[in-house]
Amino acid sequence: MDQILLGFTQLLQPTVLSMVMLGVLAGLIVGSIPGINDNIAFAVFIPFSFSLPADQALALMVGVYCAAAAGGAIPAIMLKVPGTASALITTIDGNAMARKGQAGRALSIAMTSSVVGGLLSSLVLLVCAPALAEVALRFGYVENAALTILGLSSVVGLLSGNILKGIISAALGLLVATIGYSQVTGFPRYTFGSVNLIEGIPFVPMLVGLFGVAAAFDLLRDIVDERSRGGASASLPVIGSMKLDSGLIRRLLPVWGTSSAIGNFIGVLPGAGMLMAIYLAYDQAGRRFRRRFAGRDDEAAWGEGAPEGIAAPEAANNAVTASSMVPLLSLGIPGNSTSALFIGAMALHGLVPGPLLFAQHGDIAWMIIVAFLVCNIVMWPMAFLVIRVVSRTIFSIPKSVMVGIILLLCVLGAYSDGNNQFNVWVALGAGIVAFAMNLSGIPLGPAILGLVLGAQMEASISNSLAISQGNWLVFVDPVGHPIAAAMMALSAIMWIAPALGALRRRRADRTGSGQPARVSDT
Amino acid sequence: MMKSLGLALVLGGALATSALAQDYPVRDIDLVVPFAPGGAVDVTSRLIAEAANGFLDGAEVVVSNRAGGGGVVGQSFVANAEPDGYTLLAMTSSVVTNPQLKGAPYEVADFTPVAAYNLDPEVIAVPADSRFATIEDFINAAREAPLTMTIAGIGTSHHMAGLALTSTAKAQFTYVPAKGFGEQLQAVIGGHADGAFWPMGEAMSHAKSGTVRILAVASDMRDANFPDVPTFEEAGLGIPIWATFRGWAVPAGTPEPVVAFLSELMEKIAKDETYQKKMADGGFDATYRNADDFQKIITSYAEQASVIIKENNLSE
Repeated sequence: MDQILLGFTQLLQPTVLSMVMLGVLAGLIVGSIPGINDNIAFAVFIPFSFSLPADQALALMVGVYCAAAAGGAIPAIMLKVPGTASALITTIDGNAMARKGQAGRALSIAMTSSVVGGLLSSLVLLVCAPALAEVALRFGYVENAALTILGLSSVVGLLSGNILKGIISAALGLLVATIGYSQVTGFPRYTFGSVNLIEGIPFVPMLVGLFGVAAAFDLLRDIVDERSRGGASASLPVIGSMKLDSGLIRRLLPVWGTSSAIGNFIGVLPGAGMLMAIYLAYDQAGRRFRRRFAGRDDEAAWGEGAPEGIAAPEAANNAVTASSMVPLLSLGIPGNSTSALFIGAMALHGLVPGPLLFAQHGDIAWMIIVAFLVCNIVMWPMAFLVIRVVSRTIFSIPKSVMVGIILLLCVLGAYSDGNNQFNVWVALGAGIVAFAMNLSGIPLGPAILGLVLGAQMEASISNSLAISQGNWLVFVDPVGHPIAAAMMALSAIMWIAPALGALRRRRADRTGSGQPARVSDT
Repeated sequence: MMKSLGLALVLGGALATSALAQDYPVRDIDLVVPFAPGGAVDVTSRLIAEAANGFLDGAEVVVSNRAGGGGVVGQSFVANAEPDGYTLLAMTSSVVTNPQLKGAPYEVADFTPVAAYNLDPEVIAVPADSRFATIEDFINAAREAPLTMTIAGIGTSHHMAGLALTSTAKAQFTYVPAKGFGEQLQAVIGGHADGAFWPMGEAMSHAKSGTVRILAVASDMRDANFPDVPTFEEAGLGIPIWATFRGWAVPAGTPEPVVAFLSELMEKIAKDETYQKKMADGGFDATYRNADDFQKIITSYAEQASVIIKENNLSE
C-alpha cells in the first residue's frame, strides 16, 4: 500500500501528470491517424525521451500506449480505416453502425469499452501483477503452441458468409508468414536474394498498406462511382447522439467482462500479442450475440452494426495494454512488441525492468503501474473531446483530398518504421492486394490472423517437438501439459460446435418441425 | 643528415595528420544503427552519441536507425557509403557472419574497424532452481544426454558457442531458437529449457535479482559482479574467450587520420565518468579497444565462426 502511494506521489507531480495527459492526447491523435501507430510514435519519440527525466518520459509513453489503442477506433468507425491494427475488427460493426446514421453511438460504445477494458486491466496490474507473472511463467513451448492454435480457431467466428473465401484468406496469411528467415532451420525462405525480406515482409508497413492504403483506394473508387453517376458526393455518416442508454450499458456489461478477461489473460502472456486478444474476444461476443439477440426485428445482424461487435474488440485491446506490463515489470519479459520498446526507453535512463527495478527504483516502477490507472481515467473525457474535433475535421475534408492525406500518411508511416525505402513499396503493394481481395469478396480478417500467428505457430510447434523428442502427443497430454490440453480441447469445440449446430438445424428442417433453415451461422 | 630528414618526415607527417584531423569533422557524423530504436545497440549508440557531442565542436554524432533484414539493410548501407568518415556503423558480431549465413551483399573487409566499446562474454545460464549446481554437473549431464538450450536464433554467436562446446567438451545440446530475449528469459525462468547461452549483458540483471544462475563465463577473467562463477577455461571447456562485440566501423578506404580521430574520440568517451555510469546502469560493460585490437577481435571471431559454420553446414 505504501508503495502504491509512493507511485501516486511520483505521478501527481504537476510535470509528470501533465506528461500523462499530453501522452493520452498524443496517443488518441496518433491512434486516430491511419498509417501511424504507437510503435511508430515510440520509434520517433524514444530519441527525444533522452532529454526528459525518466519519470516524465515513461509517463508520456504510458499515455501514448493506452490511448493509441483507443484512438484507432475513431477512423475505423468514421471511415472504415482502422487507425491502428488494434481497431481492425472494430471497422466491421463500427462502420456499419455509422452508415446507419449512428456514428455517435458507435464511437461512444468504442470509447466506453476502451476505458472499461483499460481500467479493469490497470486494476489487475495494480493488484495481482506478481501472481499473474507466475501464471505467465507456466506457459512453455507446448502451451504457446496450443495458444496459437486456439487463436487461429477464432477464425471460425469470422467465417460468416462464404466459408471457402474465409479459409482462402487465412491460408494466404499463413503462406505469407513463411517468407523470410526461418526461425526453425535458420535458412531464408522465399526471399529471392533480397536482404529486405530476410526478416519476412516488414510487418508494420504491411499492416499500414492492408488498412490505410487499401482504404484510400476504396475511397477513390467511391469518388469515381459518384462521378460516373453524376450525382453529388455522398456525405460521410452523421454523428448523431453520443448518449448510451442504460439498457445498452446493462446489455454490454457481460461482453466487457469477458473481453477484458480475455485481453488481460492474453496480455499477460509474453508473445501472444494484442491482435489475438481482439479476435478471441470478437469470436466470444459473436457467439453470445447469436444466442441472445440475433434475428430480433430491431436488431442489426452480426457484422452489420451489432453493438457487441464494437464493444468486444475495443475492451479487449485496451485490456491488453496494462496487463502486458505485468511480465515486463515483474520479470523483465516484454509482453508484446510495443511493451518491448519500454525496455529501450528505460535502458536509456539506466533502468532495467524486472524484480530489481522494484528494489532499486520502486518509485518509478509503481509510478508506471499507477499511471495506467490514471491514463484510463483521464482518457474518457479527453476521448470525447478528440472525437468531436477529429470527426468535425474529417467532415470538413472533401473525399478527394482525404484520399491524398491518407496515402501521404501511410507512406510516411511505412517509411519511418526503419527509415527504409523498401517499406514504402511494401505498403503500396499490400494496399493493392487488400483492395483486390476486397473486390473479390475475400475477407481480410482471417489473413491478418494467419500473418500474425503463422511464424509463432511454426516456431512453437517445432520447439515443442524439440523438447518432446518428436512426440506429437505432447500437445494433448493432460498430465504433463494440462493447460495445453485444455486449450486444444477448446479449439476443437470452436470448430465442431458451429458445424454440429448447422447439422442439427438441417435435420430439424428436414423433419419439418423447425423453423425454415437459416444459412449456417458458422 | 638522414636522421634529421627522417625526423622532418615524421614531424611533417604528424603535422599533416593533425591538419587533416583538424578539417574533420566539419559537419554532422551519421552513426548508422542497423536496428530499430529501443534495442541494445540503439541504446548504447545513443549514450555514446550524447557523450561524443561533449567532445566535438561544430559537429555532432547523430544516430540514424536503418532497420531491416536483421541488420543487413543498415550494414549494407554503410558498406556502400562514401568513405569520408561521415558515415559510421554501429558494428556487431553479426557483420562477420551475415555474408556466410544470410547472403549479405558485403564482406567484412568492406569495413575498417575504428574502436570497440563493449565486449559481452557468453555465459551459460540456468533457472535459479536448476538441478545443476555447478558447471561440472551441467557438462556431465550434457555428455550423457542432450540438454535443451534456448538461444537467440540458429546461426547466432550464441548458437555457435554451443556448437563450439560440442567440439571442445563433447557436450550435447538441443537448441530451441526464440525470437527476442523475452521469450528466452521466460523459457529459462519458467523452467521450460535446461538453460541458455546468453551474453553477460543480458543475463546480468536477472542473475543479480536471483531469477537465473550463471554457471560459467567465456571470458579471460572472472566477472567482478560474480566472483564465484568460473571462466570457461577454468571449467576445462577449452574455449578461452567467446564474446559478442559492439564497436564502430567505417567503410573501407576511409583516410587513416579520420579513423585515428574517431578512435581517439571513442577513447575519450570511454574515460568519461557520466558515460561509464550510464552504461553500467543500463547493464553494459563500458570497455575500449583501439582500431588494431578491435581488428584482432574481429579476425579471431571470424576464424572461429567460419570453422563452425562449415562443420555444421549452416551456410546458405
